[in-house]
Amino acid sequence: MTVKTLSARKNGTARAEAGTEPIPLRYGDDPYVWACWLYYEDHMTQGDIAEIMGISRATVNSYLADARARGIVNISLEPSRLSSLSIAQELKRHFGLHDCLVVPSDDNTRPLIDRLGGAAAQALAKLLKSGDTLAVAWGRTVLAIAEQASVPGLQDVTVVQVTGGTAANFAYTPELCASAIAGAIKARLVNITAPAVVSTAEIRDMLLREPLIESQFDALAKANKALFGISSLRPNSTIHTSGFFESVSLQQYLARNAVGVVAGRFIDGQGNPVAGPLDDRTIGISLDMLKTIKLRIAVAGGFDKVPAILAALRGGYVNVLITDAATGRGILNADGVTELDQKLSQRPKIDHRATLPSNFRTHIKKFLNDPDDVVEEMLDGVVKAHAAYLRPIKGSHRALVARTGPRPGKVGLVVGGGTGHEPCFLGYVGKGLADAVAVGNIFSSPPPGTIFQCANAASGGQGVLFVYGNYAGDVMNFDMAAEMAAEHNIEVRTVVTTDDIASSPLEDKEGRRGVAGNFFMFKIAGAACDRGSSLDACEAATRKANARTFTMGVALEPCSMPQTRRQNFEIGPDDIEIGMGIHGERGVIRDKMMTADEITDRVMDRIFSEMKAAPGDRVAVLVNSFGATPLMELYILFRRVEQRLSAKDIKIEANWVGHYCTSLDMVGASISVLHLDNELTELLHHPCDTAVLRIG
Amino acid sequence: MSDNAARRLSRMFYRISIAIEAGKDHLSDLDGAIGDADHGITMSLGFMAVNAELAKLNLDDTLPSEVFAVAASAFLDAVGASTGPLYATAFRRAAQALKKDECLSPADQAAIVEAMTTGIKERGKGQRGDKTMLDAWVPATEAAVNARARAAGGPEMWNAILEAAEAGANSTRSMVAARGRAARLGERSLGHMDPGAASAVIILRAMKDTFDEGEREKPGPH
Repeated sequence: MTVKTLSARKNGTARAEAGTEPIPLRYGDDPYVWACWLYYEDHMTQGDIAEIMGISRATVNSYLADARARGIVNISLEPSRLSSLSIAQELKRHFGLHDCLVVPSDDNTRPLIDRLGGAAAQALAKLLKSGDTLAVAWGRTVLAIAEQASVPGLQDVTVVQVTGGTAANFAYTPELCASAIAGAIKARLVNITAPAVVSTAEIRDMLLREPLIESQFDALAKANKALFGISSLRPNSTIHTSGFFESVSLQQYLARNAVGVVAGRFIDGQGNPVAGPLDDRTIGISLDMLKTIKLRIAVAGGFDKVPAILAALRGGYVNVLITDAATGRGILNADGVTELDQKLSQRPKIDHRATLPSNFRTHIKKFLNDPDDVVEEMLDGVVKAHAAYLRPIKGSHRALVARTGPRPGKVGLVVGGGTGHEPCFLGYVGKGLADAVAVGNIFSSPPPGTIFQCANAASGGQGVLFVYGNYAGDVMNFDMAAEMAAEHNIEVRTVVTTDDIASSPLEDKEGRRGVAGNFFMFKIAGAACDRGSSLDACEAATRKANARTFTMGVALEPCSMPQTRRQNFEIGPDDIEIGMGIHGERGVIRDKMMTADEITDRVMDRIFSEMKAAPGDRVAVLVNSFGATPLMELYILFRRVEQRLSAKDIKIEANWVGHYCTSLDMVGASISVLHLDNELTELLHHPCDTAVLRIG
Repeated sequence: MSDNAARRLSRMFYRISIAIEAGKDHLSDLDGAIGDADHGITMSLGFMAVNAELAKLNLDDTLPSEVFAVAASAFLDAVGASTGPLYATAFRRAAQALKKDECLSPADQAAIVEAMTTGIKERGKGQRGDKTMLDAWVPATEAAVNARARAAGGPEMWNAILEAAEAGANSTRSMVAARGRAARLGERSLGHMDPGAASAVIILRAMKDTFDEGEREKPGPH
């Protein structure tokens, strides 16, 4: 206590009677003003202010926040910085960019190219990671970046030159730019050791077949980031003055409405490639290849470049743009966004604090880079980790096909749904189980196009079976995909799973949602397909499994979305939610916390009321974690499930305990019971080999 | 640069995106009360994708119907979910309706609202009173159709549309959900505004603002 008092006193003696003194006269009756004064003028910590005012730290915090909302305190950004931030945000929104950095238009004491170079150098330090391969183009801007870049602490970075070299006598040749960047970030350098433009197409083809050059292009194909400038085709642009391209050819491109050059290739105003005499004689990255690189950082500014930059944005060659405020505004204006400032000021300010309890917005810690990239980054990991079982269809990680799944004469099994349920659904792709999986956003169905790609990849000429949980979104998207498949002469049958017995009464069984019992439906469907059964038979077996699978879940704590890092519903300290689904939707009944056995009994009683099992019958059991509940507790639940089943003389044929169908980081578990018959028992034991389930 | 019909529509989608983005947390909170708390995120993702695709168009020679068609596929590819097919179908129907007349007159604007509602109804097989976005779209359409019947001007029509949509969205508070994930909550969905109806109001308001603005800037009667 003495320590605290000391810290409270060090800012003045007038506040000796910490917590007991009324508000000093000069603040009127307003504790908000008092808190603000201590914080912003006396520079005290929130802890010290709490001590002095005799209130909790949390209250100080909310006083300070409310003071801003009420306009007692105004925080203003320096106008030129504010304007460049707004322009960056509009560019990002308008063109759907990954990120955008806009350099303020300052007093022009430094040349624009240096300011862009400095900004890009800083951006590189943020964007580059160990293990990256960076493709680097040539130009004055790129060289300016190299002069100012320094990214310490990186390991295993490779820089690859994107075009061949040139004999031109300027300082920013392709080989020099690549080597300057590589030097600045201490990366391994791969040059393209051929001329950028050769005299004939035959020579180019010969050179590309040379093993050395081939290996350099292999290195280029591994690039996950690219750094380039954008050149205009105005008379005094680098393109004209450098002599990099022959001026005769240049005129031909101009005649075909080329407005800019990206990585040595010509584009028109809409960003389409412009064909011309140099195309077959150029050695370097193609525009298509550029587009496959994940992060494409363009650094360009200057008013004369507006049409070229706009074209590059429209063509989708850029997803990180670094430019200056004047150019940024020009690009937006040129694309019809004229009311930038007006719109920003109109933007409604919504303050919901008053309507929500103060403990609602607790940020949950998560392993994240960019919250918008969680699904993509997870899938990058999945595709590498489970490469033995699955591979992307046409390069998209949203549609994955089993390596040894689809084959002629076999019914194809396609599963899918939103993410956040891992290892559902992609963990069940492999031999003897699902042939392909369509992957959506978090808790959101994949779109029809993705599902159709899966159907197409899974089809072996005998039809395709769709099996997925019963949610309005999934039903609409899978139905649209089935229509697309029908147009391509692929017959599709659908089994919508409805195992969650808590979600609707028995009379409305078709309205129930599909949850962890999917595990059994997938297994049975996969086995039926793998045994070469007809589409009719596969569908019938899956329907039977669905009709005989009973699941009920219980949540103890809510889950939190990676984008918000907030819990997506509230649950009281002593409450549990019975009947919880796998999307963190609220359950159907809320009850007080009880013992593990009591909870298990509540679930098993419900299951027994629907499952008409006679003594001697056999079942399969799945005790599944919703994400955050540990195995220790799952085994405690399983123990009670086994006791209840054996008391009724029901035999457990097979069981699984663990994470099989989760709901992000929800605390809770579900119990699924599959009531077996001979056919289902046989199918359950049929061999399968996937990342999560291996039998036989 | 001339201000043509396609450009107005592109600006409309842009406004929708900004408004949805600003209301994102609010929509997700509404959804958290009765659904899975992602409605704001999903809608914002969808309209961002629409903007990005529209930015790639040359609006000087694009028809309004084409703007809606591009918006439909961009929205669908970006989100999936349930809002994906619903709004994608809505935009596709609007595109079809506009093919008859591409000048974006108040009658065309009414036709857009009407066609979007038809699309949402068809795809979701839902109706008014289910506690869904249709509780905003259906009354909005009725207002639009009435306004067209009495040959009301654009601003008058949009006032009526927005008023009807807002009243409709508010009425979802006293409804029990019959469709979508909230349907499984039974009477526990009572008292909460449906997030889909709330976002429908945001969309309609942004549409109104865009078309009202066009009305003000119009040099003279056509």
